[in-house]
Amino acid sequence: MPELPPDDPITTRPMAGLILISAFLLMLTVSWSLYDEFYGLRPWRSYQSEFGKAYSSYLEKQYKSRKTEEQKFYSTPEYQKQMADVKVAHDAARTSDQQIGQQIDLLDRQRAAMTDAFQNSRGLVGALTYQLEQIDEKDKSAKESKLKELNDAKAQTYEVAWPVEGGKIVPTQYNYQQLNDLFTSIMSGKARLVAQRGHVDQPEKDAQDKLNEYVKEQLPGLASRDLQTLSSSMENLDIKLRQVNVNPSGASLNNLGGAGLVDRCQSCHLGTDPLIVPVTMTLTKADLGLANSKDAPFTSHPDPDLLKAHPLEKFGCSPCHGGNGRALDTVEKGHGRYEHWLWPLYYRENFEAGCQQCHAADMVTEHAPVLNRAKQLYREKGCIGCHRFQGFDNQDEQLVSARQQITQLENQIKDDHLQIGQLNKKGDTASDNNAANRYYTQATNLTVTVSSMDAQIEQLDQRSHNLLQEIKKVGPDLKEVRMKIHKEWVPYWLKNTHTFRPTTKMPQFRLQDDEIQAIAAYIWQSAITGPELPKQTPGNAAHGKELFEARGCEACHSIGEGPDMVGGDFAANLSRVGEKDNYDYLVRWILNPRVRTRPYSPFEKKDLGPEDYAKHNLPFVFDLDHSRSPNDGHELVVQQMTVMPSLRLTVDDARDIASFLLTQKHADASYAPADFMDDPKLKAQGKALIQHYGCAGCHEISGLEDEGRIGTELTNEGSKPIERLDFALYTEDAKLGVLPSGQKSSRGQWYDLKGFFENKLIDPAVFDHGKYKPDPMDRLRMPKPNVTKEDIDALTTFLLGSTDPSLPQEYTYKPADQRAAIQKGWWIATKYNCIGCHQIGIGQRSVLMGLPQYQGENKQNLPPVLTSEGARVNPEWLKGFLANPALSTMDVNRNGVRSYLQVRMPTFFLSDDEIRSLVLFFEAMSSQAQPFIPQKIQPVTTAEKDMARQLFTSTSAPCLKCHATGDATHDKTAIAPNFLFAKNRLQPAWTQRWITNPALIIPGTAMPSGLFKRDGDHWVFSGPLPASFNGYTGDQANLLVRYMFQLTPEEQRSLVGRTTSGGGSGGAGK
Amino acid sequence: MNWHQMWEIASAPDNVPIVALLFLVPFYVWYSFRQALENDRLIDKLSADPALAKTEYRKTEPWHPKWDREVHTWPYLMRVELVAAILVTVLLMVWSITLNAPLEEPSNPNVTMNPAKAPWYFLGLQEMLVYFDPWIAGVLMPTFIIVGLMVVPYIDANPLGNGYYTYKQRRFAIWTFLFGFIGLWVLMIVIGTFIRGPGWMWFWPGQTWDAQRVDFAVNRNLDQVFGVSGSWLSHLMPAANASYAPILARIIFGIFPLIVYFLVAGYLSYRLLLLTDFSRKIFKRMTLLQMVTTQLFLVLMLSLPLKIILRLVFRIKYVWVTPWFSI
Repeated sequence: MPELPPDDPITTRPMAGLILISAFLLMLTVSWSLYDEFYGLRPWRSYQSEFGKAYSSYLEKQYKSRKTEEQKFYSTPEYQKQMADVKVAHDAARTSDQQIGQQIDLLDRQRAAMTDAFQNSRGLVGALTYQLEQIDEKDKSAKESKLKELNDAKAQTYEVAWPVEGGKIVPTQYNYQQLNDLFTSIMSGKARLVAQRGHVDQPEKDAQDKLNEYVKEQLPGLASRDLQTLSSSMENLDIKLRQVNVNPSGASLNNLGGAGLVDRCQSCHLGTDPLIVPVTMTLTKADLGLANSKDAPFTSHPDPDLLKAHPLEKFGCSPCHGGNGRALDTVEKGHGRYEHWLWPLYYRENFEAGCQQCHAADMVTEHAPVLNRAKQLYREKGCIGCHRFQGFDNQDEQLVSARQQITQLENQIKDDHLQIGQLNKKGDTASDNNAANRYYTQATNLTVTVSSMDAQIEQLDQRSHNLLQEIKKVGPDLKEVRMKIHKEWVPYWLKNTHTFRPTTKMPQFRLQDDEIQAIAAYIWQSAITGPELPKQTPGNAAHGKELFEARGCEACHSIGEGPDMVGGDFAANLSRVGEKDNYDYLVRWILNPRVRTRPYSPFEKKDLGPEDYAKHNLPFVFDLDHSRSPNDGHELVVQQMTVMPSLRLTVDDARDIASFLLTQKHADASYAPADFMDDPKLKAQGKALIQHYGCAGCHEISGLEDEGRIGTELTNEGSKPIERLDFALYTEDAKLGVLPSGQKSSRGQWYDLKGFFENKLIDPAVFDHGKYKPDPMDRLRMPKPNVTKEDIDALTTFLLGSTDPSLPQEYTYKPADQRAAIQKGWWIATKYNCIGCHQIGIGQRSVLMGLPQYQGENKQNLPPVLTSEGARVNPEWLKGFLANPALSTMDVNRNGVRSYLQVRMPTFFLSDDEIRSLVLFFEAMSSQAQPFIPQKIQPVTTAEKDMARQLFTSTSAPCLKCHATGDATHDKTAIAPNFLFAKNRLQPAWTQRWITNPALIIPGTAMPSGLFKRDGDHWVFSGPLPASFNGYTGDQANLLVRYMFQLTPEEQRSLVGRTTSGGGSGGAGK
Repeated sequence: MNWHQMWEIASAPDNVPIVALLFLVPFYVWYSFRQALENDRLIDKLSADPALAKTEYRKTEPWHPKWDREVHTWPYLMRVELVAAILVTVLLMVWSITLNAPLEEPSNPNVTMNPAKAPWYFLGLQEMLVYFDPWIAGVLMPTFIIVGLMVVPYIDANPLGNGYYTYKQRRFAIWTFLFGFIGLWVLMIVIGTFIRGPGWMWFWPGQTWDAQRVDFAVNRNLDQVFGVSGSWLSHLMPAANASYAPILARIIFGIFPLIVYFLVAGYLSYRLLLLTDFSRKIFKRMTLLQMVTTQLFLVLMLSLPLKIILRLVFRIKYVWVTPWFSI
């Protein structure tokens, strides 16, 4: 028997197992895909259910406590009384209310009954009218038959089951016209009845409103009822995708082009949805019992005011915060923190970057302290010296453009003059009169054009003059270094910038010793040497110290080292100034820092000297009034480019302060001799180095006055593609999240703009690490700025936000009204550090307010608070005051208004444009209308004058006790300004508000409040009234103001020392 | 060795097919060869035993006389295909769940990505751009490839080896395919993916792709190697046109290497077609047109690796330089 063949594997091999397994695998994959679809890709579902639970239990708790609170409140007698009022009003109105209700009801039923018939008849008539109109005029017969049809339709009656009073129904026939009339009368009848009902219910409504108002006042926040509704809706929170749709007109919001914006952030961040957490509520993680949870994105928006200014419906979330508002798969995707999303969510320390893209033009932005700080830093630390930034101080550019315009206009005028001659010649030789006249007219018109161009040039000249005055350098003038500084100190400083003065603004350059020598040599050799300064006799250092502390120097300058440092950080710390400065120069500087040794001519590109003036037989005098070059008439730089003002001190005081400052030094300070500074061979190299390192961005240096900025422009730095930033040898490390220090970055990868900016600011040389650059000139030039971690965060924020505007134009903040004036003025106020002495903005604190010499009782020695300055003073007067704070050309060693204050309002030599901006700023801060029109003052009658005089000198309000009078002995104790200024200086309306309640305007002022009290619609004096006031019905505060505004020096003098006791004696006292 | 970056390249969703290709292509080549060689043994056995050949229909081993001569498609084939279909579906689903489409940022016309790479299936074409002008690498060569594939059925004079795996009966076709597809196409894709980094520079596996890497390499044209300047030609030309002499000289010079290449490569391919008894038999069945077409495409195909070698090893950029195109 042959052996049986084995089974054929093709037909007999069992496949069931394999098929089963693959089918099982398939099912498994399908369920996985379903899970992924519903949960894996929708992490917000679990967030929402977690939130729902936590939030509803929070609301439940809130509800309970609120309920008890409300119960307690409901039992208060005041609530009960008001509740009873409501009930009484309700009962009173009930009968007539019900009657009207019945009538309205009847009308409603009638209208419902007639609706069918009315619609049918109106429809038929309408259709037939249309058909009639469509028949051709010529077809008379057709027209007539249609007209008949129409009339028949109008006459046709419809049966209506007409309801009448008492609930009965009467079937009635109505035709088209009757139905129309009925409808009209029903509608007007109902309107009348509703109005009537409103009238009847008014008392109840008023009572109810009053009650509601009272409840709202006593129990603010959500009522228990609302809380309960909210809570129950949260228990069954509808788990769904929550999104904001923004469809701006025009361009795109989301950088994706055209389609509008969809932000789904609220799908996880439920607390920011106003439908879930009402805007009146704030919700924190702790409220939800999730304080320790790392991953609970449920808090409400931390700044509701900000949200109010930027409504969600218009802005969405991602335009400000960054991130991918559409993505929901993962936290990383939604926040846009992955390689290919170009607008990642800003990190916490940088979130104000989002403000910058629309507020780039605003130097100050509310709610954005970090950004504002960055903009200040950018200017104060001198970043602007190397890196141009649109909108920052660009007077130098404006100046160039003004000069170019002047040249163009001058050329144009030259051409026009030529043409005028030609036209006249053509006119003379023209063949006929018409042609000749045409030429002459053209020539005449051209002369007028030329004269208007002359006017333009005049304006531009004026502007240039202003601009030259406005240009300030961050660092000191190095042209005068030979007169000012000890020679040996210069190279030492270049090498040890931050050790010598740890708070300096000057960044530390990475210079080789030979570079330092060359730079110091150029600066020294290019500096001017004369005319010689007058020799000064030594002063009294102890008195100098007193003056230094009293005159307000410390608003800008600090003194003392380390923990002993006192004073502002706006200007240099002066603790080691004695190691470097020359006495004679320092005296001149303190007397008036704006004084230059030689004026600089930008046209001739040289510093003029006495010899230039002598050539034209002119004295060597140059100042703001003598600012034209004797050689060519062009505007000169006649002042130092410093913001430091003149304190109008006497020479003796200046010597004392200078002597005091020169005592500020380390006893053991010694400097190596620096003979190389006189080596002429080093000069050329030094100049090249100074140009290379851009020193002229911050300093005035001979021969380099026209140097441009050496750094990259940063206006749109935040839009720079990452490929354009050179991470050099750190590229791989940045991608791996390893910091240059070798540590792991806390946020992982730092291969992004933030990482670049931060590391560059920490160490500007960092991206040179490991590069082979034997020539120091090839190395990165940026010096190490003297900044803190917070400063770096702020600057990074600023740069991150400085992007190409990707939002539609209409989103850019362009204040055209007073807000623009406020921004512009604030920028000037910070430029000159007005805020070092004055409180200008509400809540802002000046540097002086924090100093030890102005604490407690001594607060009254502080400079005036300027929060209401625009309303207080006459802008015309303010202009004059800002130009000359002494209010005098002769006696300048004093304050103009508050002569009793030790601290001195300095002279800033502001340009006309700056004064204009500052005045507008103060006006805008106080919402004053522009242009200013002074208020009319009613003259005081003789009787009134007498009354006012008594009030003025009354014992309960001895005005002249505190207010200065100009009398030297009296003014020793004065702590308030002279009344004689009032007329030109103050605004009457403000003055009245001030004398009635000064504490409202400046809390803590020495001016007493409560001098007047309100009696009906006018103010009366609260002290005992002199008898002459009997029967006087006028406003007494107003009377005093009017008197004050008409006060004459003689009148005031006659009042000094006089007091009037109140109560009846009448007439003068002593 | 920069393993981090290596892993990033290999794990990029874009490159998953290529990593798979690295394993799948060798596997299937081996698998089909195994089948082909098995069939060849069977063919040998059957041709040695005519009796068996009459009863033997199923071309698989082992074979038993009692087994069905034919089996039905349903269920015996379909069920295998079902399992395959299910497993492929599972694979695709897992793939699509775990890896998302590799989308990138909106394009920025001001920034070119570096390296800028085509989708993986076009990387071979992109790699060809290194060796030829765009016009040739991007238009002419792909056209040749497509036309070459289209003419395959018409130039195939071999009546054997259709419908079953075999090596012996299809040696020429198989080697041509292996050379063209694996040797050129797949290899160039792999090079384009793993070897070409920023600046399309050559990075060995594990070398960091540094966008700032600087290389020094001079590529010269063949005429420059030989110093063809056209100076002797300018003497022969009218003085007015003497300035064209170098160009003309280069054009004339470049033709020679091409002619030489075509002659040599044509002769070699001719030898190839007559290599074995079997191929001589096939050769006799071919018409002149078939033969010339076959040779033409063989010669063109060979030109690619030749140019690669010239370029990578000898740093030669062009062989034939003309003002209009260069090869």
